[in-house]
Parts: sequence; C-alpha cells; structure tokens
Amino acid sequence: MKISRFILVIDSYLVRKGLVSVLNRIQGVRVLREFGTDGPLGSFLQHHPVDFIIISQTGIDRSADLFTTQPELLEKTILIEESLNNDPSGNGHNRDVLTTIRLQEDKESLTRKIMALLENQEEGYLETRTMELSPRETTIVRLVSLGLTNRQIAERLYLSAHTVMTHRKNIISKLGIKSVSGLTIYAIVNNIITIEEVTSKPVR
Amino acid sequence: MITRNWPMYRVVLENLQLLSLLPRFNLKLGFGEKSVDQVCKAQGINTDFFLEIANAYLDELYVPGEGLSLFSLGTMVDYIKSTHLYFTNIALPTVAEKLFRLMDQSDLSEKEVNLVTRFFSDYKEEFLTHISQEEEQILPYILELERQSALQVTDPDFIQKLETYSIIEFAKEHDRLETSLRHLSELIIKYLPPFDDLQLCFQVLNDLAALMKDLVDHADVEDKVLIPRVAELERKLLKRNSHV
Repeated sequence: MKISRFILVIDSYLVRKGLVSVLNRIQGVRVLREFGTDGPLGSFLQHHPVDFIIISQTGIDRSADLFTTQPELLEKTILIEESLNNDPSGNGHNRDVLTTIRLQEDKESLTRKIMALLENQEEGYLETRTMELSPRETTIVRLVSLGLTNRQIAERLYLSAHTVMTHRKNIISKLGIKSVSGLTIYAIVNNIITIEEVTSKPVR
Repeated sequence: MITRNWPMYRVVLENLQLLSLLPRFNLKLGFGEKSVDQVCKAQGINTDFFLEIANAYLDELYVPGEGLSLFSLGTMVDYIKSTHLYFTNIALPTVAEKLFRLMDQSDLSEKEVNLVTRFFSDYKEEFLTHISQEEEQILPYILELERQSALQVTDPDFIQKLETYSIIEFAKEHDRLETSLRHLSELIIKYLPPFDDLQLCFQVLNDLAALMKDLVDHADVEDKVLIPRVAELERKLLKRNSHV
C-alpha cells in the first residue's frame, strides 16, 4: 500500500491537532509536518515530496505567492472552508483547489473524504508505478528463488542470457534486493513460491 | 519535548527507546541527578545537537530539516560514523545472536535453517558493503568539501572533481537497508513453524523492528538533511569559482 504524505498549514493549534488525530487513524496516511501559517512552507516543499497539503484560508492567502508561482500545488491542496457562506470574491486560487473540507465537518464525513482522495491517488499511482514487478519479472524471481542460474532460466524461458540479465537488473532496482537469499525470502512472503519449494542449500 | 535542563535519568526512564542513541554518543548509564546539559558537557557532546537528534528520534511527525542544519557537516559526519558503529557492533550482532539461538532451539527443518542463515549472512555482507562505501568514499568527500569551502582559495583539483561529480550521484544509488529486515519478520510471522520459546521470538521481532526504525531514521538524516546540504555547498563552491 502506498503511503500518502500530508502536510498541514493551519494557524489554529486546536484545528491542526484535531485533524492530525483524524488523519493518523487512516491507514496509509503520514503527516510529515504541521505548520502554523508563518512556517517555511516554500522551502519545505522544495526538499520534501508531499501528496496533499491541507491548508486554512489564512494559510492560502498568506502563501499566495507560492501558489501563483507553482499553480500545480493547487492540485494537491485541500482547503478548509472556514465559513458556510463562502465569499466568491475571495482569493482566486480557492476555486482551483483539489477539494475542500468544512470546519464543521464531522469525523465520519471527513474520514470518507480523505479516504476517497487516497483511493483516487492509489489508482493514478498504480498506472505510473514502476516498482511493481511485471509478470515476466515475477516468473524470474520465482526461478531464481528455486535455485536456477541465469543460463538455466534463459533456457527454460527461451530468452537470451542477456535478456535475463536485464530483467535481473530491473528486479534489483525495483526491489532493492541484490542477493538470491534476499529474493527467496521476498518470494516466499509475497506468495511467489512456497517455503516447501525452496531447495536446500548448504550453509556457507 | 526534551530540553537541556531535564535530569538525564528522567529523559531515559520515560523514553526507553532512546537507549539505542546512548552508545552513539558514548553515553553510559549512571547519570545520577545530572541534567542533559551536564551529562553532555561532561562527555564533550554538543548539547543542542544531542537534543535535536533525541527529539527528532522521539517525534513521529518530525522531519529532519531546519534544526539539524545549524550544525557543521563535521558534527553530522561524526554522528553518522558512530551510528554505523552502533549498527555493526551492537544492533546487528545482537539480533543475529538471538535469531540463531532461536533457530537452534526450534524444530525447523535443515532447509528452513539454511534459508534464514544464508539470508542473514548475505544481508550482513550487503550491510557492511553499504557502510564501508559511505565511510571510505562519501564521508571523506563531505569533510573535504566542507574544508575546501572554508578556505579562501579552493584547490583547483577539487573544483575539477566537483565539475564531474556530485553527491546526487550517491543519493540515486542509496539503498534502503530496512526492506529486507521486514521480509525476515514477515517470514517468521507468516511461514516459519511457530517457535516454542515465545519470549525469545518476541525479542527477535522487537529487535528487528527497532533496527528497522533506526535504519529509517538514519537514512532520513542522510537523505533529507545531509545530502541536500552537501548539494547546496557544492553549488555554492562551484558558483564562487566559476568566474575565476
């Protein structure tokens, strides 16, 4: 499951902490940082990738420059509407934000809104995600875990040794696992092979 | 949040997770009534640096950043080295010893024992390679960079090096060491036959979890504080020397 990174830019301590306590109960949410509205938001965003920014009206007004120079931030922004009769003559950015939540929102509807956002993000994420193994790579992980050499794998799958090497390099960069034993454990816990299938190897 | 005037014994008593930080600062128990500041001073430790690291460690929401940038790269490099020593000399051998003791006492098949033994020895090897690469190449480079930027005139050879190398190259290759440990915990919880010695099994899982957290924190310090600062210093130094 993907972790979605949130930051909060809200001057009211109580509202901020209330939101954090709701957010922390939702699986897959990580609140990276909370800011009052005078925090170093711009420099923080330069160094840390975030998925969602929950911001108060004052926060968005005060960071108007940031949102003007980086309008793509609005696609990540969740605005807290502070009054029921939202003033349409207010800041022009407000209409472009990803979504809004009301200050009066109850816990359930707040949780639902956040979870819906996470789901949308998850879908988009899966499309672009490269960390997931392809079916062919999964097959290769399986064969590696069963103790086959690259050459044996190439023969079995009618591939060139070079192609198998390329797959193995991609697997390493996707999973960050270099050793055969590491891949074997990965394969077992991800149900690619069963522990019974693993061939016995002599201890080094 | 911990502050400098707290008695050190209370800091530790109420936050036992901090025990794993103590050896990295060469701090030993037996604090008496001494404050954090007194303990640090007696040991020649920068109290502010200790507080920053300890508070970051305790605060789940903390993202290292502004606070740690107040300290010299040399201070950070020292801390990173002592953290490496903690990993290689204390954390990893401890969990290995418990894991092997657990397997000795169990009814695991030879196959299963081999699987775990081999995994652990490969993991340890990767771990040590990772650390020695940092210690032999990256950290000396960072210290040299800091030294050169303090000089009036930068060594032209160093500038030449900077034109072709950046810490960003290292950042791209910076592996995460905690992932494999998670797989090991998963294996124990999901597929190995249950162990009779529950106490020891829990200790192994707890030790693995603590090591994973330490590794995540450590990688955060490197990736989010150290590397951006080094990259920034590289840029400054290049800029300063571009019109010479």
